[in-house]
Amino acid sequence: MEWMVTANEPGKTYLMQGNEAIVRGALEAGIRFAAAYPGSPSSEIMTMLGHVADDMDIYAEWSTNENCAFQACMGASMGRVRSLCVVKQNGLLTLGDSLHTAGLSGCKGGVVLLVADDPNAHSSTNEFDSRHQARAAGIPMLEPATFQEAKDMMIYAFELSEQLQQVVMVRSVTRICHGRGNVTLGELPASPSQPLPIGEWDKLISINWFHDLQFTKLDQAQAAFEENPFNWYTGPEEPELLVVTSGTGWLYSVEAVDALKLGDRVGILKLGTTYPLPEKFVLRYLEKTSRVLVVEEVDPVLELNVANVIAHNPGLNVSLYGRYQKSALPQSFELNPDVVIAALASLMGIEYQAPQTGEVPADAVVNIPARDLTFCAGCPHRASFFLLKQTLRIHESNGVVMGDIGCYTMGGNRAGHFLLQSIACMGAGINMGEGLGHLSRFGFEQPVVALAGDSTFFHSCLPGLVNARYHDANMLFVILDNSATAMTGFQPHPGIPLNCMGKPANAISIEKVVEGIGCSVTVADPYEIEATTQLVYDLIKQPGLKVLILRQPCATLAVRTKGRRKVWVDPDLCRGDECGCGRFCSKTWGCPGNIWDYEIGKAKIDEVVCIGCGVCASLCPAGAIKVEGGQA
Amino acid sequence: MSVQLGKDPLNVVICGVGGQGNILASELLASALVEKGYYTTVGETYGASQRGGSVMSHVRISAQKQYSALIPRGEAHIIIGFEPIETLRVAREYASKITKVVFDPRPNYPLGVLIGEAVYPEIDAIAAELKYLCGSVQILEATRLAQEAGNAQAANILLMGALTAMPEIPLQAEDYVQVLNQRFKGEVYELNQTVFDLGFNSLAV
Amino acid sequence: MPGGMQLKTEVLATSACALCGACLDWCPYLKNMEDHLVLSFDCPVQEHGRCYSVCPRTFTDWQAVNEHFLAGIPYDADIGAFQTVYRVKGRQPLGEQQDGGTVSTLLQTALLEKMVDAMLVTGHEDGLTPLPFLMEDAGDIQKVAGSRFLASPGLRKIIEAREKGIEKLAVVGRPCQVQALRKMEYNKPPEVPALDVLSIGLFCMWSLAWSFKDYLARTYPGITFSRMAIPQHGVELISNEGTKQVSLEAIKEYIRPGCAYCLDMTAELADISVGAFEPALGWNTVLVRSERGKDLLERARSRDLLQVEEYPPEELNRLRQASRNKKARGLSMIKQAADQQRFAPFIDMSQSPYQEIIAESSGKEGF
Repeated sequence: MEWMVTANEPGKTYLMQGNEAIVRGALEAGIRFAAAYPGSPSSEIMTMLGHVADDMDIYAEWSTNENCAFQACMGASMGRVRSLCVVKQNGLLTLGDSLHTAGLSGCKGGVVLLVADDPNAHSSTNEFDSRHQARAAGIPMLEPATFQEAKDMMIYAFELSEQLQQVVMVRSVTRICHGRGNVTLGELPASPSQPLPIGEWDKLISINWFHDLQFTKLDQAQAAFEENPFNWYTGPEEPELLVVTSGTGWLYSVEAVDALKLGDRVGILKLGTTYPLPEKFVLRYLEKTSRVLVVEEVDPVLELNVANVIAHNPGLNVSLYGRYQKSALPQSFELNPDVVIAALASLMGIEYQAPQTGEVPADAVVNIPARDLTFCAGCPHRASFFLLKQTLRIHESNGVVMGDIGCYTMGGNRAGHFLLQSIACMGAGINMGEGLGHLSRFGFEQPVVALAGDSTFFHSCLPGLVNARYHDANMLFVILDNSATAMTGFQPHPGIPLNCMGKPANAISIEKVVEGIGCSVTVADPYEIEATTQLVYDLIKQPGLKVLILRQPCATLAVRTKGRRKVWVDPDLCRGDECGCGRFCSKTWGCPGNIWDYEIGKAKIDEVVCIGCGVCASLCPAGAIKVEGGQA
Repeated sequence: MSVQLGKDPLNVVICGVGGQGNILASELLASALVEKGYYTTVGETYGASQRGGSVMSHVRISAQKQYSALIPRGEAHIIIGFEPIETLRVAREYASKITKVVFDPRPNYPLGVLIGEAVYPEIDAIAAELKYLCGSVQILEATRLAQEAGNAQAANILLMGALTAMPEIPLQAEDYVQVLNQRFKGEVYELNQTVFDLGFNSLAV
Repeated sequence: MPGGMQLKTEVLATSACALCGACLDWCPYLKNMEDHLVLSFDCPVQEHGRCYSVCPRTFTDWQAVNEHFLAGIPYDADIGAFQTVYRVKGRQPLGEQQDGGTVSTLLQTALLEKMVDAMLVTGHEDGLTPLPFLMEDAGDIQKVAGSRFLASPGLRKIIEAREKGIEKLAVVGRPCQVQALRKMEYNKPPEVPALDVLSIGLFCMWSLAWSFKDYLARTYPGITFSRMAIPQHGVELISNEGTKQVSLEAIKEYIRPGCAYCLDMTAELADISVGAFEPALGWNTVLVRSERGKDLLERARSRDLLQVEEYPPEELNRLRQASRNKKARGLSMIKQAADQQRFAPFIDMSQSPYQEIIAESSGKEGF
């Protein structure tokens, strides 16, 4: 298989995804070790490294969680090889303690931490700004503004990391990671970095003695940033307004200045090295203007850094605008050219006329239904949520269900019958459940159920389960085992006998772990809805900690290997709207494969979407849904 | 070397529902354009689209420089819609009288419609509103045609064929086919090429 | 006829449900486990809801129903229309029977005489936990002999009976179940074929929630009870380690809330009703209501399976008073529910005999 990221074609330009560019950059930098936990928008990076690991003779690992990943990289760094750790914004916080202590100890072989933020939370529960962590952990940070920079900065980051013996953060966002654009390839190294022996006095110790040394490294970084190819200015000698920008803000600012034809009045200072801020460099341009607009995502991080510079240089006469207190830009959600054009137009007192969308008479405006997210056709979570909702209603005890992070997080919306009553972060389900369950000693009688996926289980539920067992929590812990880290793109995890590089791995049995911790565990198939409803009913009647594994592979994965069975509705048997059905399959079961034939007024299967799991057939009260070869 | 574009940047939106091959289609298009020497930026909004959500790719083509990943309001020159209500949703944001729309009329029902809480609008009504919003509107039954050709899942390639045939797009059929050839082999390549040609020859442009 | 959502708001969610089981197994929305009966998901059917039409706790003109099925039979305001009342005893013991074993004998007779093809009876799994049985063999009757005190939604088996092609069915049921059976027939759409039901109604004061088993497990840990009986005073639980007495006070906590709204102690709409005979152990009270019921009793008597004797008048009066008291209590609870806006009355309070009983009880507690 030929991969763009390993093409031996220096100088050739390809359309590359931002994540691909990052991979290519890391390979050009000669990394030998890479570890990550899946997290959108960064997941493609490690997947690709896994594909090319053999060809490039590197080690690529889907670690059990981000902490494992980052500390593994620090370990590899001791052996003097270049290591890349890739995380999404939430994952960065998972490795928070590691990051701060790493900032203190520094590193040996270059360590680059690639953090992918998700402004607008396109594929996250929240949006936040990881850039604060660079200052908090005391490490330098770079922000690519284009796909080309996404590649080039990786090389620079590793050089900087080894020069300073310090971890370097490269912070990307969704629009770079998942966008695609022109990237010109560089040279791949003849051979990647080799491990070197570790001497008796070669150490990586995190201890407060080194705090001042940490600042010295930051000063060295700052000096390197003062004159740097990733920072430049375009615009007039003395702009009326100076745009200071980093990351995606740069291209939006360029487009805004072009759209408003302000090229001779507004200057753009683009920064790629944003922590520590190259203050002398920035000051040179601040001195030449009276108004500054900072364009960045998500928080006013750069803006407050610039404010700091302004505060410490009282000779300056500059008004500062940006996202802070919404002075020019919104405080939340992602930027786009329109928002920046509007801000700039307002500050420059210009009226901008965007191309007009055509006028639509009121009676021609169509009512467009929203597109709720739901589980894929055949998803076992649909079955799990259906049977859990059903069981808790039958038990009439107002059972409380704590959710966690994965595809099943969608169980909090209509797809899961609004079952979830809490959603926080990875591992929150079991821990919140443990806490709430203890209130039974004070007379709290509602059954507590906590959910976790199989990947989430290994990521953060192990201490939670130990805690629950140790304290004899009163709860039912349900592990939704679909044999994948599905939400992020079907990456393997410790329960799967295959690793990131496609090689055999020691799969760990979830039930053995649970039993090893001393819990009783039952395994059931969520597709067997009636039988599993009875099972859950019996379990919630029992006191103490119960563990149930609902095991059925992710439908989207299964269909790749097993293919689809044909499913269809016999319209003569279908009850449709009548009492005894009421369109149960499409309205209540809600699988996108179950649709309605408006012409004949009967249920129908959408063959393009249906994968043939047959669960709807088992639920149809009239036995009208048929499955090829009978039911599984 | 790239030929100057009539409109620079040329802005194309490709939209639909997760699972329709939207991303692949826009990626192949953009690769062909880069191969021809153009700066191309593709901005993908898909979030959790795998789970039936809306998908949108913004493709920005320029002979001069790299543009940002998002098209400003009303500045889409072409919208290719894989699904009717997604096409309308996108058009309301990004279309204006400068916009040409081509869409596949096959509905993909959102959960709200399936459960009977919302009604899926009539295709005629959708086309009518699009006509108010945009410069021109054409319907292309890509899924049906692709299904007849042997695989409903290849509707995305058919639509890319139709797009490539448009005069604004600085590509010949061979340019796109070359990319298909790099990506697919054997029967899959043959089918995709057949379907691409069907699309290329399908629209009155 | 409204549907599932209305059934939920008026009956299931208000604790008015009698757990007769008539609404179950027709659709995927109504679910039952143990003694929970719920609408598990919202039902979109707003018209022609079968569940609503058969439920004994939705509004019914019982006078009209009585007229339809028991026309011409002398009507008694306290214990319903009946022809004669007897005290009866089975001549052959049939396993662990309760009281006089009359019900078991009647069932045996009905099958032997081919009056019915099958019978629906509530038996048990472990002596206490009720389980409905649909059976076609007279020999199986022993399995279901004895009284049940925990409620079971046995009428869910009606659908199964139809599917099996059974045309004539004997059903032993609580008064609420007999009511539901009559509503099924009274309200059925014309195109649905009649299921010929011969109903043997049981006298009933209340039934217990299944949480009573948890109470027994807590109070008498490690003991397995095989039978429950209610002799003159208190409640007896029989195990192989002897008999335990449970006070009526303790039992009260486990009486199903739905039973509080019941106005029918003697299964007034059955073909024949059977209950305990208080004055003497080993005998039953039998109220013969319809011609079919009379026919059944005659056949059992002529096969010499039953001993049928005259009923002491003073006992009849006591029976009538007990039934009247139950109606009074039930009416009081229904009125309370209406006043508290929990649900509207499911009977016409102005109809006879409710009107009279309310008037009589006026001034007393609850009114």
